Amino acid sequence: MSRSYACIISADAKKDKEVLLAIAQRFSYSIQMLEDGVLFDVSGLDRLVGSQQKISQKILEHLKKADISGSVAVANTVDTATLLARQNTVQSARFSVSGGEQAKACTLNEFQQLPLEDLDIEQDTLNVFSDLGIRRIEELLQIPTNELVKRYGQEFVEVIDVIQQNGRRFVTPNIRDNNVSWSFELDFPVEDFEQLIFILNHGLDKLLSQVVDHGFSTEHLDISFRLRDKTAKSYEIKTSFPTLEKTFWLKLINLRISLDPPGAGIVSVNVVSHFTRPRPAQKGLYAVSRPEPESLLLTANKLKKLVGEENVGVPVLLNQRLAEAFTLDADKLPSGTERIEVREDGPVIAFSYFNPPIAAKVSIRNKQLIHLHTPYVSGKVKECSGVWRRNSRWWNRGWNTEEWDIEIENGGVYRLCRISSHWFLVGEYD
Amino acid sequence: MSHLSLVKSLSHLKEAQKYSDEILLESVGLTLTRGAIAEIAGEASSGKTSLMLAVLAELTAKGEICAVVDSANSFDPCSATLAGVVLENLLWVKCDGEIEKAFMAADYLVQAKGFGAVWLNLNALPKNQLRMVPRNYWYRYRTRVKETPTLFLVTTEFPVAGSASQRSFLFSRRRTGWSGMGRFKLLRDFYVSIHPRKQFYEEPLLTRIELDYSDV
Repeated sequence: MSRSYACIISADAKKDKEVLLAIAQRFSYSIQMLEDGVLFDVSGLDRLVGSQQKISQKILEHLKKADISGSVAVANTVDTATLLARQNTVQSARFSVSGGEQAKACTLNEFQQLPLEDLDIEQDTLNVFSDLGIRRIEELLQIPTNELVKRYGQEFVEVIDVIQQNGRRFVTPNIRDNNVSWSFELDFPVEDFEQLIFILNHGLDKLLSQVVDHGFSTEHLDISFRLRDKTAKSYEIKTSFPTLEKTFWLKLINLRISLDPPGAGIVSVNVVSHFTRPRPAQKGLYAVSRPEPESLLLTANKLKKLVGEENVGVPVLLNQRLAEAFTLDADKLPSGTERIEVREDGPVIAFSYFNPPIAAKVSIRNKQLIHLHTPYVSGKVKECSGVWRRNSRWWNRGWNTEEWDIEIENGGVYRLCRISSHWFLVGEYD
Repeated sequence: MSHLSLVKSLSHLKEAQKYSDEILLESVGLTLTRGAIAEIAGEASSGKTSLMLAVLAELTAKGEICAVVDSANSFDPCSATLAGVVLENLLWVKCDGEIEKAFMAADYLVQAKGFGAVWLNLNALPKNQLRMVPRNYWYRYRTRVKETPTLFLVTTEFPVAGSASQRSFLFSRRRTGWSGMGRFKLLRDFYVSIHPRKQFYEEPLLTRIELDYSDV
């Protein structure tokens, strides 16, 4: 059976994308969106519509109805259809080979008149052809194929195939459903968490198998419940990686819903799974130690449930002049990035905060710190450095402190701070 | 024909095992073993935190993901950055001084498997609370981290893990270095001695830890 492909090239493909897709879907399921139009397989429509001429006229009618300026071409190969359609972007219909005799002659002639610049030929080669007076496809067709392949290599066979209309390329469908959904109406409202998870387990089973059937994975689930009090509750669960592990999704749903449970009994459940490309995984000898993404995300969620959402995350430094110029980014998870430059020096003295700072009593004699007393640390001040005056944010919340680094006899080394007349131990050098 | 020997000498096996899952801190001269508990104990300002940051810096720079269970919210990311820790590879868990949550959090982290290191920082917690922690917690951690690449690190003021820890060190500050005079005095360095508590034949290590005044 001979193949037929249709191509619509629009003057403003970005704007007309939706309409072009709708028109293509009227004729075919195998559709490839191009940057400047749409390409689709119309093989087999000859029985239903008629010749390629009739098919192209029919497509053109739809274009006119939708008030789209563009050109249509129907041909036996993908490349021929695309090249013919791109040749003219005003409303016109072109077709090749299997139309009426007159049409065939006309279109074949038209195809052969196309300039060589439209083909995928290197500029140097084009210049050579131009110098030799070969500017159109028909002129190139006059040259023996063997000579061309001998001179320009095996890769030139692809160009020869295009000009001889020997189709090797097929439509690569890139329009598909981007999600699948599952709904369940309940006879009685569900208020028990375990029952809900049982129902979701059943739903996820079906949903994830559908995702697999489409050859995709998922990293985004939308769950919505209709509640007995005629309200709705929805949850958007996203991960940073695609996965089809049902137990992982169930645990994540469990954690997410338990953090913000619905306010009434659930009457119906709807779950939507959005498609994404499957995750390529490479596990090698040289892979460093990292938890599996699923495991890391689940652990972070468990920890958030334990210590609070704002207490688990990645530390982030702030580019601000503050006493504690850092924060915890609770939305981020460790990424496992490798640093090329590795610090070669030895360990550096670290600082540990006392949270909250410890109130202290300080004895001063002749402007010298003599003795420190706190409920936890007390002793004679052996050495001290300071005073370091630090201030910032005078326009907002004033931060104005005086700080000393002090070493306590038979004790540690601390940072002492005075705010107005109050003394605090802010932290310890360790 | 010695090279055809099927049975490797014991010393060779020991050598092969030694470098497969050990983390070597060259600057300090310490080796810590993965899949085991290492305990660092010491009084205030004895360099425990500095050593922990050095371990985290070593691992996170390679792209390993590590976790800090910050029992008393005392962790300072600025110090960590100065020590070379890659913060993007660090999971920070703040426990607001609640010891039970800290132990539970550490348990979740060792269950996850695959963390390069999990640091349970118990530095600022009261001694009486730490003494009440049942010993079986430590054995539970030991079993969990066994045969995983995770190095479980604990820092406290006094040893708590008992025989559950594979290595235990006692840190003490020998001397504090100050430079300058009068108002221009600056804290410079700590001279720290590290006593291994388990390998009695090992000599105590002496190391110098500097204060880095550069901006982060």
